[in-house]
Amino acid sequence: MEKSTPLVLTGLAVTVGLRTGLFNIGAQGQLLVGAIGAAWAGYNFQMPTLIHIPFAIVFGMLCGAAWASIAGALRAYRSVSEVITTIMLNAVAIALVDYLASQPLKEADQPLTRTPEIAETAALPDIGIVPSGFVIALFVSLFFGWFLARTTQGFRFNTVGMNPSAANYAGIGVKKTIFLAMAVSGALAGMGGAVETLGITGRFEPSFNAGLGFDGITIALLARANPIATIPAALLVGTLRSGAASLQFRTGIEPEVVDVILALTLLFVAAPIVGRLLFRNRATKQTTVSSGWGNS
Amino acid sequence: MHRKLLVAGFAAAALVLAGCSSDSSESSSEETAVAEETTEEQVEESEGGEEAAASVTTDDSDCAAPENYCIGLVTDTGKVDDKSFNQAAWEGTLQAAEKVGGFAKFIETTDPKDYANNIAQFAQANYDTIVTVGFLMAEASIAAAAEYPDIDFIGVDQFQGETIPNLTGLVFNEDRAGYAAGYLAGLMTQTGKIGAVLGTDTVPPVKLFGEGYKVGAQAANPAVDVTLVYHEPNNAFTDPEWGAAESRKQLDQGADVIFAAGGLTGNGGLIEIAKDSGAGTSVFCIGVDVDQYFTVPQAAPCLLTSAEKKLREGTEELVLLSYDGAFPGGNFFGPTGLAPFHDTEAAVPADVQAALAEVLTGLQDGTIDTGGLALLDN
Repeated sequence: MEKSTPLVLTGLAVTVGLRTGLFNIGAQGQLLVGAIGAAWAGYNFQMPTLIHIPFAIVFGMLCGAAWASIAGALRAYRSVSEVITTIMLNAVAIALVDYLASQPLKEADQPLTRTPEIAETAALPDIGIVPSGFVIALFVSLFFGWFLARTTQGFRFNTVGMNPSAANYAGIGVKKTIFLAMAVSGALAGMGGAVETLGITGRFEPSFNAGLGFDGITIALLARANPIATIPAALLVGTLRSGAASLQFRTGIEPEVVDVILALTLLFVAAPIVGRLLFRNRATKQTTVSSGWGNS
Repeated sequence: MHRKLLVAGFAAAALVLAGCSSDSSESSSEETAVAEETTEEQVEESEGGEEAAASVTTDDSDCAAPENYCIGLVTDTGKVDDKSFNQAAWEGTLQAAEKVGGFAKFIETTDPKDYANNIAQFAQANYDTIVTVGFLMAEASIAAAAEYPDIDFIGVDQFQGETIPNLTGLVFNEDRAGYAAGYLAGLMTQTGKIGAVLGTDTVPPVKLFGEGYKVGAQAANPAVDVTLVYHEPNNAFTDPEWGAAESRKQLDQGADVIFAAGGLTGNGGLIEIAKDSGAGTSVFCIGVDVDQYFTVPQAAPCLLTSAEKKLREGTEELVLLSYDGAFPGGNFFGPTGLAPFHDTEAAVPADVQAALAEVLTGLQDGTIDTGGLALLDN
């Protein structure tokens, strides 16, 4: 579950994007920015636990949101494909956090590239064997399940995702909605990074967060952009990932086989969509063709 | 759609449950195994700790039994065939296992957050000795050594500030490897000028490499002009552009043998020198840590040798010490030396090779004094 926690959140981040018709490949970059933001907020301040944890998480979310907003603004107001910008911003984010962790925010008097350890007051405790970050992630995904299905803003996200022109005709501010959805998506990814930093790693080290954001894409697709379904999907990916070392220990199978399994899973999940494209004529007679990932 | 979701949900749940149930059975069997171990240990002690060298351990099903010897190795994030630290340590481990009839196994770390978990895999299976590779794992090794006091831990390339009896850091006399490299450079130079492009002098091993190189060069050729440049402490090991630029500068100033030591910074220097038109005939480079002929193949044209930390031999020796119950704790200095010449062998005259071999033996048996740790005060 430790491994699944950030995955639920990055999965959600990609999900919210997909529902609004945005393919956010940049969850990795947003997560990194959020993680280092939370680490900074975690070690730089002294305050009581009850304030410190939310403060650090919210700060991480703001960092992630700000990072995603760059791509969001470009998409909404300049029509630059978010797929391209988020991928490119990933690379920028990696370089940025490397710089931050090796220069201004580096822990003094030691050679490693990393920030100091967060204050104890900012550390997320475990509830029994369940990391409290997982509980947070659970609530957040339930919230978004409700948000996307039952609120006006959620309806706007969905409508823009299904058909921007219709949404525009119906009086929804499409540009604003796209910008907002991207920021929310970034905030969720940033939250994933923050929870990971505060709950597990205790500090920011560039190599700590490898691949979490990219697994988020797998999870969102696996969950067919359903916020609630990201939980089992993230558990699946997290379990596979954490089992990799045991697998090698017990059977001698290379840990990379997990990546292969995940790729195959994704392939099979995507198969119906590909099939629909290939056999469009027959398929349209039976089902309606959807324009978004989440509406089948 | 909903049915599919449901199925996916069940599949995920089943996997999680499977994971949990195996965990619980694992922990219970572990408890019993620990209990067994304590009783067996007492037996062993009463027998005076005799080694059953004749027996061969073929699997890790019963590592707790005194006649079985199991060695685990956890890699830094990398594979055991990385042609660098992980591979050298694994080969050393295998050799030692073969010698004593022990069983060796590795786990390749894919996520740096898993260091502790991967070490725990071995510890919970009652492995006798666990090798952890790379200084990034230093903290995880210290924590594991405290948690499992009955297991010997070997921290490859992990300098120990405090002595922990069941944790030995495999470290090296970098000054000796540097001295040998410098001696060779001093003999090889035609221009009378040699150089070195180094990571920061605030990291002791790097400074020892550099100063040892200087001392060695001057021993070979008192008239030689040695230029050492150190990177500033920030991103000292990740600045290949700087390494390339400084190497170029030294070449332009007439240096014809350059020692590049400092992670990616040094590698940048090696690659730059290999591009020079005289590479391999009038201009040479020297690598560091492992045989860089394999780790930086682009440097092969100019690569004379590498000032090597002999990880394989060092790891093997430490595993054997652990097996014999003579585990030292603290820091253990592994052997150092020079890597083979490879492509540049023809360019090294026979008398230079002979003189170098003499120096290498002198360094090994201690008849040549490089100055040791006092070099750090230079």
